[in-house]
Amino acid sequence: MREDGIINKIRGGVVDACRIWAEEMRQTVRDEGVLIFFILVPLLYPLLYSWIYNNEVVRDVPVAVVDNSRTAMSREFVRHCDASPDVRVLCYASDMDEARALLSRQVVKGIYYLPSDFSTRLNRMEQTAVSVYCDMSLMLTYKAVYQTAMSVALDMNSQLQVKVAGNTTDREDLVTTSPMAVTPVPMFNPSGGYGSFILPAVLMLILQQTLVLGIGLSAGTARERNRYQDLIPFSRSYQGMFRIVMGKAMCYFMIYAVLGSYLSMIVPRLFHFVVLAEPSVLLAIMLPYIFASIFFGMVVSCMVRYRENVMLLVVFASVPLLFLSGVSWPQSNMPWYWECFSWLFPSTFGIRAYVRVNTLGASLYDVAFEYRALWVQAAAYFLLACLVYRHQIIQSRRHALDRLDYIRRRREVKRRLRERAARK
Amino acid sequence: MRLKECLSQVARIAWRECCILRKNPIYWFCMVVFPLLVMFFFTSMMQEGQPTDMPVGVVDHDHSSLSRQLVRRLDAFQTSHVVAVYPTVRDARKAVQAGEIYAFLYIPEGTSDKLLAQRRPTVSFYYNMAYYAAGTLLYRDLTTITTLGSASVGMATLQAKGVPPAQIQSFLQPIVIDLHQISNPWTNYNIYLSTVLVPGVIMLFIFLITAYSLGTELKFKRSRQWLSMADGNIVVALAGKMLPQTLIFLAIVYGYMYYVFGVLGFPHPGGIMRIAMLGLATVLSSQGFGIFAFGLMPSLRMSMSVCSLWAVLSFSMAGSAFPVMGMDSALESLSWLFPLRHYFMVYQITVFNGYEMLDAWFHIAALVAFALLPIMVLRKIRNAMLTYVYIP
Repeated sequence: MREDGIINKIRGGVVDACRIWAEEMRQTVRDEGVLIFFILVPLLYPLLYSWIYNNEVVRDVPVAVVDNSRTAMSREFVRHCDASPDVRVLCYASDMDEARALLSRQVVKGIYYLPSDFSTRLNRMEQTAVSVYCDMSLMLTYKAVYQTAMSVALDMNSQLQVKVAGNTTDREDLVTTSPMAVTPVPMFNPSGGYGSFILPAVLMLILQQTLVLGIGLSAGTARERNRYQDLIPFSRSYQGMFRIVMGKAMCYFMIYAVLGSYLSMIVPRLFHFVVLAEPSVLLAIMLPYIFASIFFGMVVSCMVRYRENVMLLVVFASVPLLFLSGVSWPQSNMPWYWECFSWLFPSTFGIRAYVRVNTLGASLYDVAFEYRALWVQAAAYFLLACLVYRHQIIQSRRHALDRLDYIRRRREVKRRLRERAARK
Repeated sequence: MRLKECLSQVARIAWRECCILRKNPIYWFCMVVFPLLVMFFFTSMMQEGQPTDMPVGVVDHDHSSLSRQLVRRLDAFQTSHVVAVYPTVRDARKAVQAGEIYAFLYIPEGTSDKLLAQRRPTVSFYYNMAYYAAGTLLYRDLTTITTLGSASVGMATLQAKGVPPAQIQSFLQPIVIDLHQISNPWTNYNIYLSTVLVPGVIMLFIFLITAYSLGTELKFKRSRQWLSMADGNIVVALAGKMLPQTLIFLAIVYGYMYYVFGVLGFPHPGGIMRIAMLGLATVLSSQGFGIFAFGLMPSLRMSMSVCSLWAVLSFSMAGSAFPVMGMDSALESLSWLFPLRHYFMVYQITVFNGYEMLDAWFHIAALVAFALLPIMVLRKIRNAMLTYVYIP
């Protein structure tokens, strides 16, 4: 058989790739810094975040009431507010100054002010206003305080209308107060929970960020161990870009096949978040996502000179990346330049696809764009990773040749010196 | 004499630090470029203040002038924009799943007939709560539409009966809610989010850079030379090393504050003095935390890992999105361990709402305590600098 036959070449490549795979695995297990980001963070962070958002909704937001009316009707309004799930009437303040002091001391999050002519005006069949003051530093408490007052007012309004309307049957009362019924149907997150909304996105982000951090750290270590600060050692196996990239990718894929399934399937079930995903669709999007993240991580790792620098580059990006995915701020309202920028990162498509598949129960057809984009990213970052590794190989070869040259020349000089000494 | 000597040592170490900062480009990126980039990112991302014209759909089986009026009214709202009409609910649901629309209005057949015959028809509004901001904002529009829809019917009836307009209004809506949104009457999400996220990222960088700059002294075997410049006095050594960083970060924080409060005009009834003090407290407490983290684990890698994990968690534990009072009680106490939490509380009490400084005393004290934390680990850092060896 010929030495340079194509089959032999492929076989050699596969063997080399496997050797690199084993070597990378060995280094990963030995390096505790990498282990923290590959194992500990993906295992524990989701649990921590789930714990933080476990309560999902804010109940019993404390409010203060300034009731200048002090009538049965005003007390009814306050009682209804207190009885609602989202608001708790913490105290009656004697005047607005006292209520404002409570607000400033963070004891309450809102004030309900009922004017002195509250029921007088109602009895006169005039409009009356309840003033609601909301602390705007927290949107969720603002929502609770405001919406509770709104719904209580609506409710009392219909009761008042019934009293005045002079209908004879209950049905007539119903038609008078709401001639058209409207059913609000919250889809895919029926409790309106905060955790169910943010957690799926965070899970996917953790996957990408820990991968990039881990790959960057291990690349940094490899560089620091190397005499010339090269990313790849000068040895027989490390002589082709495909085998290096494939060998390393197999190692990371092995770890993240396990962690990816933990993050995408076990954690949401553990904490009872909405799970509507079909296993085959989930697999179809997770595969390109993990590959895209691995190759993206390899490209980033080539930019890292010292192992710790990768943390400086990657950690801060988590928050902007979460925003770029369009979960918190709607994708339809993102400025176009940020939308374009977001296409650079696997997490953008990974989060969008995962949220739709997992929480919205979308089929592969529904996430076709994201699915294709992830494969395109995987391919593009693979090629880019090959290119940067090719550059690294050339560099390490040049360093090795320089070194060889240096040794040879030194030997030559020594030989000449010896000869000269012998001649003398 | 002694003091003068100390000061000159501090100045010399600070100059040495300036040279280090200049030589390594990572400092330039993490102290100036990235913080500014993040600041621009968040403020430009949410420049609308509130998401407007979000895509919604309609399933209209009634095809009457009434249903068209409902759709027009929905479209006229600031938040929603009707982009498509779907033949069936299933198609609309598919569109939600494909991410084309955030919500849709379903008007079943016979709605207007039933309405005219006083048989109380039902229309449904489906909104996607998997996207929280979009869902809640569209839900708000929905409640307004329903109130208006019902009211218009009642108004027509009463007008036909000859009731005067003022009385119609007070009949339809006897109690109105007069809403006062303190300090943020526009419900501007930019004001609400950027003022926590951007300082959070800046604090993250202060944590990391502090630990990094201390750790690299060990890593590049410069630690003894550094300490000898201060005659082995760790306080002088630290002060000199931190001084240039403090000044750069202060410039960044004040630059950010000038941008959001001065240029973008975010509300700040608390005044400039409080903003300035808050900026100072932010930088010093973060540096204090960074030094403390390094002192606890004098290894570059571990201290940076701890700092980054802590800083990332603090975005949740600050309680600006999901309030701390909604979390488990154990987490409520744990939130005290995060400087960003105290920054947020001091900011919202004294600057955003303009209440008394005294009302935020606990959080101000906590920030001061964070700035003083290094005192506990001074000896340990000194020992580490003299004896530890960096292991990659």
